Amino acid sequence: MLLEVRDLKKVFHVGLFKRKEILAVDKVSFNADSGKFLSLVGESGSGKTTTAKMILRLLPPTSGSVIFKGRDVWSCKKIDELRWYWKQVHAIFQDPYASYNPLHKIDRILYQVFDLMEHSGSDKEKMVKEALREVGLRPEEVLGKYPHELSGGQRQRIMVARCYLLEPKLILADEPISMIDASTRASVLKLFSMLREEHDTSVIFITHDLGLAYYVSDEILIMYKGLIVEKGSPDEVLDHPKDSYTKRLTEDIPLLYRKWTGF
Amino acid sequence: MVVPPILKDLFRIKKLDVSLGVIVGLLLISIFGSILYRVNPLAISGPPEQPPSKDFPLGTDSWGRDLLALLLAGIRNSLYIGVTAALISLSIGVITGVISGFKGGVTDSSLMLITDVVLVSPSILIMMLVAAYLKERNPIFVSLIIGVTSWPWVARAMRSQIMSLKSRDFMYMSRMAGLSDMKIIIEDLLPNMASYTFMAFVLLMSGGMIAEAGLSMIGLGVTKGLSLGIILYWAQILESVRRGMWWWFGPPGACLVALAASLLLMSTALDEYFSPRLKGG
Amino acid sequence: MSILALLEAKGVKAYYSVRRGYVQAVDNVDLVINKGTTLGLAGESGCGKSTLVNTLMMNVKPPLHLIEGTIILDSKVISDMGMSILKKNIWGVIVSLVPQSALNALMPTKSIEGFVRDVIGHHMSVSDSEIMSMAKKRFEELNLPVEALSMYPHELSGGMKQRSVIAISTLLNPKLLIVDEPTSALDVSTQKQVLRMLIDLRKTGITESMVFVTHDIAVLKQIADRITIMYAGKIVESAPTDNMLYDPKHPYTYSLINAVVTPEPEVRKRGLTSIPGEPPNLLDPPKGCRFHPRCLKAMDICKSIEPNLLERWGNHLVACHLFPSNS
Repeated sequence: MLLEVRDLKKVFHVGLFKRKEILAVDKVSFNADSGKFLSLVGESGSGKTTTAKMILRLLPPTSGSVIFKGRDVWSCKKIDELRWYWKQVHAIFQDPYASYNPLHKIDRILYQVFDLMEHSGSDKEKMVKEALREVGLRPEEVLGKYPHELSGGQRQRIMVARCYLLEPKLILADEPISMIDASTRASVLKLFSMLREEHDTSVIFITHDLGLAYYVSDEILIMYKGLIVEKGSPDEVLDHPKDSYTKRLTEDIPLLYRKWTGF
Repeated sequence: MVVPPILKDLFRIKKLDVSLGVIVGLLLISIFGSILYRVNPLAISGPPEQPPSKDFPLGTDSWGRDLLALLLAGIRNSLYIGVTAALISLSIGVITGVISGFKGGVTDSSLMLITDVVLVSPSILIMMLVAAYLKERNPIFVSLIIGVTSWPWVARAMRSQIMSLKSRDFMYMSRMAGLSDMKIIIEDLLPNMASYTFMAFVLLMSGGMIAEAGLSMIGLGVTKGLSLGIILYWAQILESVRRGMWWWFGPPGACLVALAASLLLMSTALDEYFSPRLKGG
Repeated sequence: MSILALLEAKGVKAYYSVRRGYVQAVDNVDLVINKGTTLGLAGESGCGKSTLVNTLMMNVKPPLHLIEGTIILDSKVISDMGMSILKKNIWGVIVSLVPQSALNALMPTKSIEGFVRDVIGHHMSVSDSEIMSMAKKRFEELNLPVEALSMYPHELSGGMKQRSVIAISTLLNPKLLIVDEPTSALDVSTQKQVLRMLIDLRKTGITESMVFVTHDIAVLKQIADRITIMYAGKIVESAPTDNMLYDPKHPYTYSLINAVVTPEPEVRKRGLTSIPGEPPNLLDPPKGCRFHPRCLKAMDICKSIEPNLLERWGNHLVACHLFPSNS
């Protein structure tokens, strides 16, 4: 098993003296296998992004563990252990605007990751250019530019190119296509499939879009108020939902080939 | 000489060129003017209360002192106090704000409590009390008094900047690239704050100069010192306005306004330039 | 103007003036909205749909300018009317627009009642108690809790706020209601509630016709009679809903609809399409058909001559050289 998430819990404390508690994630457990696409589906406030940040070792959990290739990720404290982890587990975030430091050229986001890999300096440039071509970008068009000079779609592709450089085992993609034009979304999705074909990469999609999850995943997990309320294959979840929240969700999603009943 | 592209872009902004021109112009005039126009500003050079003439380009005050010499020295000293007070405020404000924003938690809450207390304290009153208490006031003291009462807004602003930057996705990207904390602070955090720090400095300098003028005009400025505010103080005490001696209060007043306004204009220009970039275009 | 039409727009050009020139946000648009229809206006961000609906009701302020075109609403030529007449007789009375940021436009210090007074106040010389009873009655009609009227915006959920704003916008029974992305920020269940209310508004006859602006085409399947697609400031295709969804003719529309992803086996079977390239810069749009740089079926004529929006196959209109006029 590539990734095991066990009883992850996150409580946020607000206020200095009158400490109010917000239970964002309430004992979440699931597994992810190599080469599998998994979707964590939930609406805003469901705790899905918080869960992702805990798995990525960015936000410390209140309790619970994240086990990657048999190692407890949160007990890794030394910088070389962290680098070992982040070479194999990486992320693509939702907002292609916020993912870049606006004062640096986009090259930095790509060259940064060589620190994670054992690499001699000689062919860095060649590797970067090839990764950009893999994602359908022309290196001359994007290298040396600042983030605000490129479109959202180009920025997201560069993020995927960063992953191509790392060849990670697991990618957490938080709403990777929600902020790019509808007409270019499918081509960005294909990039994830290519990563799976070439490197057996597993992807956990974090999204509110059940349609996307249905289309792309091998397994769907539905989150509601910090809990996983439904787990199963796309067809199981859609045709035979067991939880009432899932049922409501599937009834309320606007469909393209069917009209709502009683409307 | 290779000019960094950012400077090239900045100098293309008209507002910046105008305001920088005014400030640098007045500074140069005051430095070189004193060298070329070798008149002791505090010495009695001629007959009192003379309007501008060939001998005295800006006339004389009620003691017969050369007003042009006074003006040149005054500009220099006002700028000096402005810069010093700004540096003091900036240091306190930036350090407080950065620590508060970065650490969070109890450190944040306690530092902000202190900041709020200083913020709501009537700074002018405090400045007056401290100034009146000190019999001898040199320029450093005056700068200190002004600096120590005007840093709270800087601290708050820096804190918000840090807090918003901390949770931006690009910080996570740098962390996941395995960069050390120090590298992240230097490469990601500080550049995004540099522009704001500079703007804060410009605003503090403007405020500092006006605060100094204010203190001076009620007689609490630098003792035995010289500044635009002090010249205006004498002009006011000796009723130069009522008596129509425009050459006394006019030029110092105009210079003070020009300097303060130019600094404000400069900060506006910088803000316009930097804000869209910071937001990602 | 046909008797079936509530609104008829001809040759509408609405541009934004910027330092470097004009952004041709809406370019030479002809549109007819018939009485008793819900029209879905769809397209990607930047296609001009919000600009178009604002222009259709003459909500045009610099830097937006109506360069050319006539707009006839309810047999009145509103494109010739001055602002004061529009405010008094047209807006709120014949046509009402619920803009994209309606949720955030509510003043946090005013209760919903206060909002009602603002909206109705300068239209009719009716007493305050009459306005309030009108509001109460309307809320009851639409199954909204009457208590909401005395609450403040922050006390209401997003869905409740949106429905309240829509209900109040229709207090004077405007013939045409325009809603711009009313449900984009809402979760699916709340979205369904708002959509249900919009349908009730038509069913009860409170509003005669509606224009629903969105980028979410699946929503239009559920509530629109007719769909019009915009691209780069132009209308590229317009047809009854099912015709548009299952038999799109224009290459852009075809790709756009096949890029929609819903949890349905049909979607899985057909796969998702994407279009190479990016939408054009409207400061300097491409010559000829604005879609030709990205169109896989582009011909030579597409690069130089703009296709007209033509009616083919009975009330299915398309602007594409692949479908020239019948003659």
